[in-house]
Amino acid sequence: MAVQPEIEKKGFVQTVLDAADDVFTRITAGIPAGEVRRMLRGEAPGRPNPRLKPHSEAFLLHIKPTYYHDSVTKFTHTFRLGLLSTYLFFVETITGLILMIWYAPTPERAYTDMIRLLSNVPFGQLMRDLHRLGAEMMVLIVTAHMVRTYLTGSYKAPRQFTWFTGVILLVVTLFLSFSGYLLPWDQLAFWAVTIGTSMAEAVPPKVVGETVNLLARGAPDIGANGLMRFYLLHVLFLPLVLFLFFFVHYYKVVHFGISLPSDEEEVGQDTANKVPADRRVYFLPDVMIDEATFLIGFTAVMVVITAFFFSAPLESIANPQSTPLHTVAPWYFYWLQGLLKIADKMIAGVILPGVLLVLLIAIPYLDRNPSRRGRDRRVAIISGVVAGIVMIILSWMGTPYYAVQGAPAVEIVQELMPEEGMGPVREIGYQHLPLGVYDTREHPETEDEEFNHILHEFAASIAAFEEKDPTFNNAYGILSVTQEQPSLKRITWEIFWLSPDGKEDRYLRTFFLHEDSLYWEQYGLKDFSFVRPPAEE
Amino acid sequence: MKRPWYSFLYVRSPLVKIGLGILAVLVMIAVLLILGIIEERRMEAQTANWDGRGVEKGAELYANNCYTCHGIDGKGLPGVAPALHSKYFFTQRIHDVGWTGSLHDYVKLTIAAGRPSKVNTQWAQIMPTWSNRYGGPMRDDQVENLTAFVLNWEEDALAQGTPDNPDPWQPFADAPSKAVADDGSAPVAEAPVEPTGSRTPQELFGGANGMGCAGCHNLDLPQTADSRGPVGPNMANLHETAGTMVPGEDAETYVHNSIVAPNAYVHEGYMAGIMPQNFAERMSEEEINALVAWLLDPNRQR
Repeated sequence: MAVQPEIEKKGFVQTVLDAADDVFTRITAGIPAGEVRRMLRGEAPGRPNPRLKPHSEAFLLHIKPTYYHDSVTKFTHTFRLGLLSTYLFFVETITGLILMIWYAPTPERAYTDMIRLLSNVPFGQLMRDLHRLGAEMMVLIVTAHMVRTYLTGSYKAPRQFTWFTGVILLVVTLFLSFSGYLLPWDQLAFWAVTIGTSMAEAVPPKVVGETVNLLARGAPDIGANGLMRFYLLHVLFLPLVLFLFFFVHYYKVVHFGISLPSDEEEVGQDTANKVPADRRVYFLPDVMIDEATFLIGFTAVMVVITAFFFSAPLESIANPQSTPLHTVAPWYFYWLQGLLKIADKMIAGVILPGVLLVLLIAIPYLDRNPSRRGRDRRVAIISGVVAGIVMIILSWMGTPYYAVQGAPAVEIVQELMPEEGMGPVREIGYQHLPLGVYDTREHPETEDEEFNHILHEFAASIAAFEEKDPTFNNAYGILSVTQEQPSLKRITWEIFWLSPDGKEDRYLRTFFLHEDSLYWEQYGLKDFSFVRPPAEE
Repeated sequence: MKRPWYSFLYVRSPLVKIGLGILAVLVMIAVLLILGIIEERRMEAQTANWDGRGVEKGAELYANNCYTCHGIDGKGLPGVAPALHSKYFFTQRIHDVGWTGSLHDYVKLTIAAGRPSKVNTQWAQIMPTWSNRYGGPMRDDQVENLTAFVLNWEEDALAQGTPDNPDPWQPFADAPSKAVADDGSAPVAEAPVEPTGSRTPQELFGGANGMGCAGCHNLDLPQTADSRGPVGPNMANLHETAGTMVPGEDAETYVHNSIVAPNAYVHEGYMAGIMPQNFAERMSEEEINALVAWLLDPNRQR
């Protein structure tokens, strides 16, 4: 209708209001302002339901179901873990894109780019920490999502293929997280990935293993080519694979519906898609508000954790010539490292993980029990719990606490002042290391309480190893702190002991500590001491 | 039906949910604001942190590669390598050699490319090339860290020049100092320590006022086919081999001659002219004899 006749007919104000409502309806893809008001007031929709229109009109909503069974919208049924996994993928994409702006994947630049990001880009550290925390949470939540699906038996017919795509998504998530590990090009990254790719080398027959290893690293050892390959895997190939499988997975979820709590349907039946009219919860507005609030709340929690309690590690620049003591894989591969300690590289590194993967995929076909009720599937649940406990034990065995203790003297120093990372001495810092020579036999005391604590720990640790280790007798340690340069202290650890044949042995390790150095732990309250400038002396 | 204890998770009211969402957004804004306020100081602290860590790494490199010639405290060894921890080095050296760039670049390039010339220098060895760009062992970041470490002596070095804290500078033969003292006269170099006959062999070999022998000769390793000193021969088994080197010279004569006239006999695989030629002037005859006896002592005391 032309404007003028409209104004003549309805009056000016009404015409403007109608035009505004029209724009509003276009933005909301089909819901007028009045309907939004009724939604917020919690009023029931009219018939036919005017709130379904966006599902046919908007792209992003057309893949969402229009309504859910009210039982599956309860938080404790799914814990929103699938939604959260998807959301974390988007968080990783956005933070990752921002990080890419300041990053070049070459050995000459990668590490200095990290330092520049931390020290010269406003909110650069926050972005990096968020990306790292998001990656670790994604692994955790995708795994939790799988455990939940397993415990509620939701992988059973007709959802076997959904489960299969889910397993693929889990594997891709692990690889995504792992491929990102190399990019900072520090010692932690370099050696974790060297160990990881060396497992590929064990794939039989030999020529295949070597080829796979060569393809991943781009050379016999990781270098410029390997970094570029891992970068491309991380930012392009794996996200695309994940994207593809995500949509297959989600299509299947919508197609079959979220499985109901097992008590609400007969054994062997699947009524997820036959929702009685009185049990329907419509996506608009109820589920949408619920999901949005949940994700916003989760983001807030993530931001708070990142801001105050989580710092992505950055060790020394990658050095192919020196392997740091106690090199570890990322925590989600501790179990694999544990396996490698007790079994051969080929069995533990290739065959067992392969079998595990096939078993995971085959679970829906191995488990012929039609019931999803917990009391009917004792065997499945107990074997799941046992597998979980085995994983936890293997993970513990993957940490340096199990079966990789070095010589006592090396371990004593590593405990107090590790080669990489913080440790108690760097934690108390330059200010709390009074110059002098401290011999543990003399039980020295200084004016500095925190330093006294270190000296006690040094002596106690020597005594503990003396008791444990028969080759380590009459041991004592000398810690000397000297001023090497302005604002640089030299910290020398010397440990003397008698070997069983009565010969005196000596271990010497020297470290330097600069006044301005900050070392940090990955998890734990961040150090905000820089906010207050140090008091004038 | 009894509601389970976790029923508080089943929020139904959309308004409560929206309220919670708004609260979460406000929390996020507050946290980001706090971070934004301290961001400038965080970046400063991080910059200082990474500079500091660079000095730490440089100190490790210095302790592993450089101290044998430039001294543990960087004050140089006479006849081996010049002092870096020196007021002269920080204030005058680049002017004397006509360097127009910064001291940082001078140090960095000297470390990276070495000083591969023997013209007009009194130093026993050439400065090797350290950067792997010129065939050395160090990556660029290591050269940079080492430079940061050397320059970190500045504060201490500039305080030198008092009788308690003398400048350890020894005049360079390659570029005599053009510096002018406060009263307009030519500067007085630190007088080289005159031989007094009172120095022990240990002091002469590796001490601060010694001859800097330890820079090139290792006392703990034997000189064998698979254990060769890279610059000068190792000396752990000197008492066994010294008598067999030159026909007609017994061990004492051989070692004595090697000190006062190093070019008279150069062991296969080493170059003539590396070892300083002026030890006879810098040590008294008694000192040289004591040093020879000490070097040939199978139970040599350090």
